[in-house]
Amino acid sequence: MSAATNRTQPATASAVTTPRPSEPSKTKATLTWLALLVIFGGAVWLSNARWSEITGVFTDGWRYFQLMLDGVLENPFAEPWSGYWTLALEKMMESVYMAWVGTLIGAIVSIPFGFLAARNVSGRVTVQVTRGFLNLIRAVPELVFAIIIMLPIFGFGPVAGTVALGVGAVGTLGKLTAEALEGIDTGPVEAARAAGARKLAVLRWAYWSQVLPEVVAFWLYRFEINIRASAVLGIIGAGGIGQLLGQLFGRREWEQIGIALVVVIAVTLLVDALSGAIRHRIISGGAVKESTFKEDAVSAV
Amino acid sequence: MSVEAPPRAAATDRPRKPAPSPVVIGGLVVAAAFTWWAGHSLGFSLRPLVENWSNGWVVIEQFLSPNWPFIWRVWDAWVETIAISIVASAVGVSLGLLFAFLASRVTNRSAWGFRATRWFLSVLRSLPDIAYVLIFVALVGVGSLAGILALILFNIGIAAKLTSETIDAVDTGPLEAADASGAGTAARARWAVMPQILPNYLSYCLYIFELNIRASVVIGIAGGGGIGSVINVQFSRFEYENVAAIVVALFVVVLLIDQLSQYLRRRFV
Repeated sequence: MSAATNRTQPATASAVTTPRPSEPSKTKATLTWLALLVIFGGAVWLSNARWSEITGVFTDGWRYFQLMLDGVLENPFAEPWSGYWTLALEKMMESVYMAWVGTLIGAIVSIPFGFLAARNVSGRVTVQVTRGFLNLIRAVPELVFAIIIMLPIFGFGPVAGTVALGVGAVGTLGKLTAEALEGIDTGPVEAARAAGARKLAVLRWAYWSQVLPEVVAFWLYRFEINIRASAVLGIIGAGGIGQLLGQLFGRREWEQIGIALVVVIAVTLLVDALSGAIRHRIISGGAVKESTFKEDAVSAV
Repeated sequence: MSVEAPPRAAATDRPRKPAPSPVVIGGLVVAAAFTWWAGHSLGFSLRPLVENWSNGWVVIEQFLSPNWPFIWRVWDAWVETIAISIVASAVGVSLGLLFAFLASRVTNRSAWGFRATRWFLSVLRSLPDIAYVLIFVALVGVGSLAGILALILFNIGIAAKLTSETIDAVDTGPLEAADASGAGTAARARWAVMPQILPNYLSYCLYIFELNIRASVVIGIAGGGGIGSVINVQFSRFEYENVAAIVVALFVVVLLIDQLSQYLRRRFV
């Protein structure tokens, strides 16, 4: 990591090959590793985990896995198994709906915030205030929005979860939209101004047109994330597959759990593949490089 | 366009607007139909926002007067959350690195091997963190061990995905040099690939640690220990003042760790 000291020793006359340069000091690396080891050891100690229980993973794990497999391998068209499959699929679709509507709410609300938070659109004070607000939303997990604000107003059920997902999405999507706006080509902006376009027309035709593909790709990406997030919301009674999983695990119905997990995996993989393909198509149709997109998305989630 | 145009015309004829592509129209129609269907199935309506605002306000008011001393009373739970995140991130990113090498065409010479690893990793990632917590709570009981094990699996998925994509994009020069000098698969990965991906990998490690702190609410609510379990207990007792204090403190902790990791990241990259 640190620059190597390339100090070759004076070659003796008889040496055929040049002598090996002396190795750079390893003290710093050793100390870093030691420090990390101490932190890790401390964390293992302070985590209060009952490490002896870990044997349960190997003993019970295998038994439960077999039970889950039994549930999955039973004839899915015979009662009661067909009912289990239908229920799991229904609840998973509810999660997908929650994620879709939630993302859409977040997307629509995030557009004005994106413009307000872009340095090349808004004034410095506006940008600072908006960014602060977006960061605030980003730091609070959806679960907290659901607990604090949505459940008291919307009651238990998927609508509370949907709105919570929407609010949560505003933070990331607003930030990503602002960053996309800041990266645009200024040519079209000048052209629109030169042609006498008003401020709103410039924003619509010079700014928005340029970022639209990238921004829609972000929306789809957020949709994929929200499918997983909606499962979490179910656990506090905000609908979707999480609610079913919570009930099934509470009753230790391993056959049904197996079915539910298979449904979750299958639907998630399917939606990911579909959404990924659309994103790819949108992005390669637009002028945005896939690599920049990925990094932005990673830093924002 | 027209040859007959009078020479004094102020502007040329406006070009015709191109017709929108059928793919886009089809896509929009499908999206709109799906949105309608989804909203309909959920019974979605924003009316409660207006109608039940007063109901909600009673609770929100409690949230607006956080019980600050409570933050310090649950000091142990904070330490536990940080410890859980450290252990889970450390183990998760180490195993994740191994899987990343297996999941890249560059470092895994077996075409089937890397395809199988990728497939395994996408299945691993498709389950939400909450499902892992529920599974491990059933296996090892309620407590931080369940949280740690769940987060490890979750972290392997993310670390391996991000890192293997970085590995895919490495400069091939050092690889050829390693191959030419007869390096084995392990030596090649260690000396030709690892130095190239190290800065990115370290930054992913920090990112995953941050994610783990953020996930602590979820982990705890499902029975995986840490500050989330405190929130769960206080929430079910309707002690919203205490929940509010914890949430604000968690926000500050996330912000501090965010700053710290940004500082460290700038030093790595």
